[in-house]
Parts: sequence; structure tokens; C-alpha cells
Amino acid sequence: MTHRTPPASPSNHRPVKMARMSDGMDLTDATTGMEAIPSYRPDAKARRYDRQLRLWASAGQRSLEAARVLLIGCDATGCQALKNLVLPGIAHFTILSPRSVEAQDVATNFFLHPDTIGRNIAEEAVKLLKELNPAVEGSAVVKDPAQLLQSDPDFFSAYTLIIASNVEPQLEMDLAEILWKASEKVGGPDVPLICIRNSGFIGRIEVQLREHCVSDTHPEQTHTLRVDQPFPELEKAARSLDFDSMDSMEHSHIPWVVILARAVSIWREQHGGQLPNSDDDAERAAFKDMIKSWRHKADEENFDEALRSSYQGFTKSELFEDEAVVTVSENSKNLHILLHALKQYTSQAPHLPPISPTLPDMHSSTTSYVALQNLYRAQFNSDFARFKQIVAETLGRIGLPADAIPADEIESFARNSGGVQVIKGRALKESKEMRGLVAEVYTNVDEQFVDEEKPIHLGLHLALLAAERFHLVTGRWPGSPEADDLAEENRQVEEMALSLLQSVVPGAEGGPETSEAIAEVVRGGFSTLPTTAAFLGGIVAQEAIKLVTNQYMPLDNTVIIDLVKSSMEKYKF
Amino acid sequence: MSQVAVAPPVQLSSKTTEYLASSSRYRDVDKILDRRGPWTDEQFQGGQAAKDFLRQQCKILVIGAGGLGCEILQNLALTGFHNIHVIDMDTIDISNLNRQFLFRETDVGGSKANVAAAFVMQRVPGVKVTPYFGKIQDHPASFYGSFDIIIAGLDSIPARRWINATLVEIAEQDENVTPLIDGGTEGFRGQARVILPAVSSCYECSIDTIAPPTAYPICTIANTPRLPEHCIEWASVLEWPKVFKDKKLDTDDPDHIEWLYQRASTRANEFKIEGVTWALTQGVVKNIIPAIASTNAIIAASCCNEAFKLATLAAPSLDNYMMYSGNESLYAYTFEYEKRADCPVCGGESIEVQAEKDWTLETLLEKLEDRQDLQIKRPSLAYESGAPLFFQAPPQLHEATKPNLAKKLSELFSEDASVVITDPNLPFQVTVSIKLV
Ligand SMILES: [Zn+2]
Repeated sequence: MTHRTPPASPSNHRPVKMARMSDGMDLTDATTGMEAIPSYRPDAKARRYDRQLRLWASAGQRSLEAARVLLIGCDATGCQALKNLVLPGIAHFTILSPRSVEAQDVATNFFLHPDTIGRNIAEEAVKLLKELNPAVEGSAVVKDPAQLLQSDPDFFSAYTLIIASNVEPQLEMDLAEILWKASEKVGGPDVPLICIRNSGFIGRIEVQLREHCVSDTHPEQTHTLRVDQPFPELEKAARSLDFDSMDSMEHSHIPWVVILARAVSIWREQHGGQLPNSDDDAERAAFKDMIKSWRHKADEENFDEALRSSYQGFTKSELFEDEAVVTVSENSKNLHILLHALKQYTSQAPHLPPISPTLPDMHSSTTSYVALQNLYRAQFNSDFARFKQIVAETLGRIGLPADAIPADEIESFARNSGGVQVIKGRALKESKEMRGLVAEVYTNVDEQFVDEEKPIHLGLHLALLAAERFHLVTGRWPGSPEADDLAEENRQVEEMALSLLQSVVPGAEGGPETSEAIAEVVRGGFSTLPTTAAFLGGIVAQEAIKLVTNQYMPLDNTVIIDLVKSSMEKYKF
Repeated sequence: MSQVAVAPPVQLSSKTTEYLASSSRYRDVDKILDRRGPWTDEQFQGGQAAKDFLRQQCKILVIGAGGLGCEILQNLALTGFHNIHVIDMDTIDISNLNRQFLFRETDVGGSKANVAAAFVMQRVPGVKVTPYFGKIQDHPASFYGSFDIIIAGLDSIPARRWINATLVEIAEQDENVTPLIDGGTEGFRGQARVILPAVSSCYECSIDTIAPPTAYPICTIANTPRLPEHCIEWASVLEWPKVFKDKKLDTDDPDHIEWLYQRASTRANEFKIEGVTWALTQGVVKNIIPAIASTNAIIAASCCNEAFKLATLAAPSLDNYMMYSGNESLYAYTFEYEKRADCPVCGGESIEVQAEKDWTLETLLEKLEDRQDLQIKRPSLAYESGAPLFFQAPPQLHEATKPNLAKKLSELFSEDASVVITDPNLPFQVTVSIKLV
């Protein structure tokens, strides 16, 4: 595993502040007559969901509350994933299974009670999962998934998202294929599929989606201020200030954005419209020297901030590269229409999405900060007006009413449009065939990891793929209880893994890491450790929430989890 | 603090009785316990020995029955731990229900430990969960020394420092190493770690990585507010004590939040600042950390996976820190956190502070408060001999030692010296050596 930045501990508590000194007045007296401002005190629902609304806000919550999730494979892992989706309040979940509850189901699955042994597993699990949140609807469908896939494929495309937990490899492939084909048609249903596989301490999650748009990635750095090409009003404001005539208080409270916008404007004027060259040490220094020359005192914090951010003056704001949403129709999703409109919007100068209306905090006086904020807001409003116009034209062109997309959805898209990300996924079948990345990694594995321990995760992936092939051939999992000769099963899986590998990389050897990975996977015998189930169920739910809310970047497309070493690695196969 | 005898004798159905008697019910977990893996420890005996220890002998304590605690109790019960204890001083609030899945609306106001224990025993027959409704500090060290493993799912740093220091002390004095597994989450991120007290690095070793609380400079709050948060801080830090004098702000009282919200909104309007809301006001003054079920599930599962490995040796345990982030796609980072030689809890060396001779004692005090590796808020100082230098309390001692604050260090110490710090945040004393320069 490659080394990344060491962690900062997430828990971060402020000591409770306490009032000091003596004899205060009564709270009621103090409050009486001052509630001029509407309170909007949270209602019971807002209080229940308070800790999650602080992550995905009401827009994300609305999407969740419209989501319908289907679980195929009613095992501990699948039910743990559902638990983590019922709690935050999805609209509906269905569990599809014709099986009866057995003792080992109860032993691993918290949402089954021993008294229900012998009854239908979907119905029993739905009952206990529904208890978690009275606002969520749940239903059981007592049918064989493979037959239903044949007789009524439309059943599956009626869901927002499908989770397939440890279902048989053939069913998994068939389901993935039907969903992939359905999403081929423009305007057809594009239902993300999350597939889970676990064996003892080892797990894998695969996500199939054709296209996914993240309308808010929640980046650490949220503000794209575009000081490299200040909009006219900002440039005008920055140039109109007379730094020299200011008193020291005023001078030390000019927001750094204004200082930098002024520096950029002057530099461009002197350099034929060019920004400082970021690869040229001398130009960078000259740019900074200009800013330094405006200082009145050495300890002005606003100038410190401007110098720290000076790279923003010579880093050109650019449009994210994406494949455009070329065709839209009356059946297109709102998001697709908005992306289509955004493409048209950015085809005009300055070839950038609407500016973000929010500012980070910076050293400045209240008045100059608020004035700057108003400049950005006014610019956003004018950008937004143009964007709204394009959306309205697009809707008209494809024969939809002007209010087909709610106004607040258009606005929140526009506010975050600088951070919109589009993911193009791959069919599950294609990623399982191990073309691309696996071939590349295995071909170069010796050069890539000369001094390091070779990564175990690819070996685990290969082991799981080989075990799936084993299941296709024998109809059962390697290492399952029927297996009396573990060593022999191990050997067979190794053989299958090697042939899989050599079909992609002729002549490749698995190596000791792969043998160890196979041994651990076969040891697990595709049994469920409750802890592994809970771990995977947590990740699946996080990913489902990200997909449903169109917030935060989701996994694309595979993660391999090793709970022997408590590590994981993700790949785009 | 009270230990409640929950669970009146439950009448088990014949089906449940049959289930409890069946040996096949643990078929899944037994595969891992009956077979050796390629990375399994030499000492792994597997089979009956591991099962007996897990299911009969092992006594495990869960600290906290909140977001992580509920998940931990579920996982431990299903994994086969039969003798589980849980301690929590909190009662159930409606804002817990989006993740603390052992509680229902009708449980609001009840003890988390009691309700969680009763729920798990009802759902997983055969498991014994003993609840303690109270503070961890109310139990003696010997109580904690009686467990084989302790898992902490706490949201409080002082409580973690306390249990960590207590377990390191037990390990050093009685050579009784009780593993402490610690989990924490925030939003889509979290971490799990295994602490072998006095053997591996401890919680205190990494105290300096905890980000200091967001502090807004008082001059910004008072003079140049720009953000809605500045207005809220103004209302809670400056206005509340001015108006209510000695009445404490209770951040759990909605009327208090309402008052702050009204004051902050009025100020924001004056300065034309937008964005003060009720929820933001509550979030700022309570320092609310976003929390969701799925992240708690991941971290709690990791903690329980480590407990299972420690109890059975079925796989090597985490050495010693795993962090997880689902913010941008997902990733985990696993590494060994190193012991700190000057860790005040488990290290042998004392913390060194460079101080200038003409600093006042007050300056030294401020410098100590700023240190990330101490994380103290209202320190009292004494000479190594025990003679007081500056005490925050009791009042007589505070008055008597207050004049020292204005004195220069050169007047108080003739040469390099050691100073003993006590602080409400510290469950132990810290000796720092002052190097005069
Ligand atoms: Zn330590």
C-alpha cells in the first residue's frame, strides 16, 4: 500500500464554555420581547436526522427519502447494509428471497431471531429492519431471483439502487448484464448495482454504473475564487482602491482576494495580457515582490495571506474535462439536462461555469468582507440568470415545461457547478474479465515493487474470481463445509487462478502472494464473520448514500478488503 | 452510578432453546476457528481452546453505548462473546436515533447502557450483557483490570485520556496488560486502533495529532465579524456571561440556544452577514460532529474484528492504527503509531520546555496551554517538591499564588527546574523540565 499523509484524528472537541461572575438575570425576562426573528426551531424529524443533515443537507435528504433500494441475497452483510440505509431514511426497501431461515443465518444476522427459524427469511428480516425507522417502508418478495430475472426483468429497473449480497456468480452476472443493457438506451433506467462477496476475513465490493454525476463533491478546498481572471466588477473594485491614502487600520484589512486581483490585473497590463509563468522562478518572485511593495508594515496579516495564496494568481482556472452529455430528451434525468445546459453555458467566454457565490473567511474588516462577498454574489446572480435562460431554452427544445426542473435544484447545481464531476463506469462483466489494469499490474509487478512487499489485494481479487469460476463449475464454494479435502480445493482454485491470469498475461506466474491470498479465501469457505459483514455493510451503505444523493465521490469500481491486515485497496478494473 | 439488574428471567421458546443447543449455529465463525490461515500466528491453537475462551471465559467491556457502542455490542454478541459489560453515563436523545439502532422513540430519556443491554440480550439469546449507568471515573482501577479486553467507542477526549492512563498504570504496576481498542468517527471518516498498554504506543502518545478546536480570535468576534459563526460566538462567549452573569449556558436547553440564535441573528443583521440559523447556532455552541450509521458500522466492525483476533489468535491483530475515509471514493491507511519517548503516560522521559529568563510565570502558563502535546485548559503549577507555584483552586490558594503570575521566571527559579502540572483535562500529573535560556 502506498504511503499517504498521516491521519489527523477526527474527534475534535471544544471544551464546554461556562459563564462566569455573579448574579445574572432570569432567562425568561431576558428573552421576552426579543423574538422578532423567526426561529425555525427544528421539528422532530429535523432533530432525528440532525447529525446527518450536517453532512448532506436537505437536498441530500430529499434524494434519500425518494430512494427505493432492492436487496438480493438476504444475508448478514446485505442486511447490515440495509440497516445503515433505513436509519438515515430511504423511502423504501425490498428484500427478494425465497429461502427459509436457518440456524446459521440467525447466528450471523442481527435482524433474525431464533424463533423465526423455518419461516421465509425476507419477510422476517424486513420486519426487524423496519423497526429501525417508522418513516421507511419495507417489503418482502418471496420469489426466486433467477426466475424473476427471466419472467419480469422490469421488476429490477424500478429501483433506485440494487445490492446483490453474496449471490451466486451466474445470477450476479445475469443481473448485471440486464441492468447494463437497460441503461444503454437514452433515457433508459440507469440503476447502479453494488455486488458484495465475502469469505471469512476477506471481502470485495464491486459497483456497476454506466454514468454518475456528483453535483457536490464536498472538496476540502471549496472556493474557486478565480483571482487569475477577476470578473470585471472585482477588477474594477481592486483597481479603484488607493492603497497609499489608506490609514493603517484600513490598509491592513483589505481582503487578500482584492490584493491578488489587483496584482493580477496590473501584471497582465504590463505583460500583454499574460499571467506570471508558474514555471519561471523569476516571474513568480517578481509577482510576489509587487505584492510586497504595497505593504505598509511587515506584520500585515492580509498581505501574509495574499502572499501565501499568490499561486492562485498564476494558476489558470480551467474547465474540468468531461464527456459532454450530447443528447437529451424528454426522458432524460434532470441532472443530464443540467449538464447539457452547462456545456452550452461554458461554450461562451470566459468558458468557465458560473462562479461560486461563497467566500472563505479571510483577514479583513466586516465592511470590506461583506462588500467583496456582495461582488461575488452579484456575479453569481448574473451568471445564474444566463444559465437559467439556457436551461429554459433546453427544456423548451425537448418539449418539457419550464418548471420541469425545480428552481432550487437548478440553483444548487449552479452554485456547485465548478465542482461537478461525471463518472463513466464499466460493465461488471468487463471489469471481471480483468482486462486493462490487472494485466498491466501483473505484467510489471516485479519492476513496480522491487523493495516493497507485493500488494496482497490483487492476489485476493484473483482468488475471489477463481473461486467464482470454481462455483460455476462445481455449483458450490471452495472451502465450504462439504469440502473434506481443503488442500485439494486449494490446489484447484490455484489452478483456476493461474489460468485466469495467463489468459490475460501469457506466461505470468501467480507468486507466493497469490498462493497465500487463495489459502486465506479458501479458509474462509465463503462463510460470514459478523464483523466482516458489518464492515462491508458500512462501506456499501456509504457508497449507496453517495450514489443516491449525488454527493461525495463514490467508489468506481472495485475495493478489496483484507481484515487480517485491516487494509484495503481500490481499483478501476 | 448504578448497576441495574436488567433482564427479568426470559421465557425462552422451544425453538430458541433448540437453537441454543444446536452445535451447527456457529458454523460460519467456526470455519475460521477450526482452520489455520497463511498469516495466522504460531500460537494459534484453534478449535476448542479458542472457542472456549471466546464463548465462556473472555470478559469484555464496552465503554460507551452510543453510535459506536450500539454497533460494537451487536457485533460482539454475534461473534460469540458471551460475557459483555457496557458502561455509559448518557441518556437517549432523539438526535441519536439516526444511528444508535438499539434505541426507539419510546426509549428517549432512558439510560443508553440499560436499554442497549436489554435489547441485545433479547435479540441474541444466550448472551449476557451487564450494563453500568454512570461515569467511567466512578469505578476503581481494579474494576478495569478485571477485563480481558476493553473497547472504547467514546466521543470525549478527557474520558479516553482517563481510561488510557488508568490501563497503562495497571499494566506498569501489576504487569497486567489489558488491550484497549479505541474507535472514533466524524462524518464519513474514522479510525480504529489497538493499544497494548505500556507495550505499544498509547492514546496519549498521539494526543498532539488531535486538531485543536476551531478558535475564533476574540478581536474578530468582538470587532470584525465576517461569518455567521463569528456572530454566534459573540452571543455565546461575550453576550451570555454579560447578561446572565453566573448562570451557566446549557447547550442542551433549547431555550438557551433560542436566546443565542436571536442575539446572533440580530448582530448578523446589523453587520449584513447572512447565514445564522438555529441549526448552525446549535452546531457551533455544542461543537456538533456529524455522525452517520454507516461510518460507525465500519469503525465498530474493525474494533470488534480486532477483539475477535485478540481473543482467538485467528489472525494477527492490528499493529496498531487504521484510518478510514469515505469522503472521496474510499481509502484506508494502516500503520504503526510509534511510542513517544516523552509521553507523559507511557514514556520515560519528561517533556522539555524552553523558556526565556525574563518571561513571567503567566507567559509560561500561556505557552503551556498552547502546547498540542499537552492539551490542557486551566493548569495549576507546582515546584517538583510539591510547593505551589500557581493554583487555580481552592480560592485561598489561588489568591495566595496569584502574585507569582507577574513574577519573572528568573525570580522563581535559580536554574533549570522541573514543574508539575495538574489540569482538569489531565487524569494524571505531568512533570515538565524547564530549560531557561
Ligand atoms: Zn504513551
